[in-house]
Amino acid sequence: MDSDIILIIVVGTALAFDFTNGFHDTANAIATSISTRALAPRTAVTLASVLNFVGAFISLKVAATVAGGIVDAKLVTTTVIFAGLIGAIFWNLLTWYFGLPSSSSHALIGGVVGAAFAAAGSKAVLTDGLLEKVIVPAVVAPVIAFLAAGGAILLTYRMVGRLRPGPVNRGYRLGQIASASLLSLSHGTNDAQKTMGIITLALIAHGDLTGAAPNPPTWVVVSAASAIALGTYSGGWRIIRTMGSRIIKMDPAQGFAAQTGGAAVLLTAAHLGFPLSTTHSITGAVLGAGAAKRLSAVRWGLAGNIVIGWILTLPAAAAVGALTYGLSNIFGSGALGPLLISVSLLALMAAIFGQRVRRGPALTTAPRET
Amino acid sequence: MIAAIDTAALLELMWAAPLAVLTITVAYGLVINGAARMAEARRDGRSAAVGLYAAVAIAGGALFAAAVVFGLIIMISKD
Repeated sequence: MDSDIILIIVVGTALAFDFTNGFHDTANAIATSISTRALAPRTAVTLASVLNFVGAFISLKVAATVAGGIVDAKLVTTTVIFAGLIGAIFWNLLTWYFGLPSSSSHALIGGVVGAAFAAAGSKAVLTDGLLEKVIVPAVVAPVIAFLAAGGAILLTYRMVGRLRPGPVNRGYRLGQIASASLLSLSHGTNDAQKTMGIITLALIAHGDLTGAAPNPPTWVVVSAASAIALGTYSGGWRIIRTMGSRIIKMDPAQGFAAQTGGAAVLLTAAHLGFPLSTTHSITGAVLGAGAAKRLSAVRWGLAGNIVIGWILTLPAAAAVGALTYGLSNIFGSGALGPLLISVSLLALMAAIFGQRVRRGPALTTAPRET
Repeated sequence: MIAAIDTAALLELMWAAPLAVLTITVAYGLVINGAARMAEARRDGRSAAVGLYAAVAIAGGALFAAAVVFGLIIMISKD
């Protein structure tokens, strides 16, 4: 009975994480398209939402381990996964509140690392894996994307700089629709799979699935795809504003350079078996496209805050994951701990949301279309 | 710890990713350049130039479309 309740809680929490992943990362695909008016805000989130949903079905090679190679898989229990998810959701909501783009994948890894550390001590954390899969990619992605997008915009201005701006801007806006679509599809294939992997792992631990790498049941695929699509549709407008217009004011050519630069870096890295964070790549590309035109065009103070957010992602999500595991453990190893924590968090979120709604428009209001 | 990093993949990424970005940039730049100059040539009644710029735009478009298709293949076939 206890294990059934924990399974239901883990599935619900995983889908909640998937939802926050969607609205947190909407900006990666469409922020520059909105700021250059390639797409109207509501059209952009609808397109991203549909393509995230479709992307979730493209590849179903779901990893059966959460944070595989980073924590000892034998020590990952459903309670550790639950606590890790809470850590990741906390970090996603906090960075969204401050309008800072940060990696949902790194938040999830941080949460699971913290919870596993609290459960089994330092032997649960594989530092080599942490270095290879989190720390090095976090440095590499923005630097390569920055340089590539910077080079791309300089080349673009050289190729089209003497043409009449009207047709050039219209052309790059059209191109941005293609690059935003590709990024949204890519996000669906990558990020919805994380949730499918978590739920699959919980089902294995519960004894509902067997085998070394079982395929997720259809209901898992559909629910994960739906959660990320709904999250994307709700639109994380705070981060969209940051990525689209607060870091730099961009023209359509810069928007295209940033989007295609980020997408090309991500897909090349995936092709070479060196997966990078979408958020880190796109943010680096936006900065590069701005800085190459004019260094002073970039709001470096804001860029610094974003980098601080990236540095804090892993330790902050880990701390909350560890704290959640510790709190849950006070009530024993059964379902009571996760149940009490879930109910308390839901009550807290309902209270905060209720208070916010009373004060004015909902948090996810789209920018006015002018 | 350094042994944990796949340095070969990292080094390949450092030249392959910028090369991919620049290829796409040139491809789409050719589309824009070709289309814009084709419109100008058509207005001026230079039919030979219209054909030339149309060919440039089509070549750029084909290269850009190939890059998008390659991106889709990577997404579908990734492990």
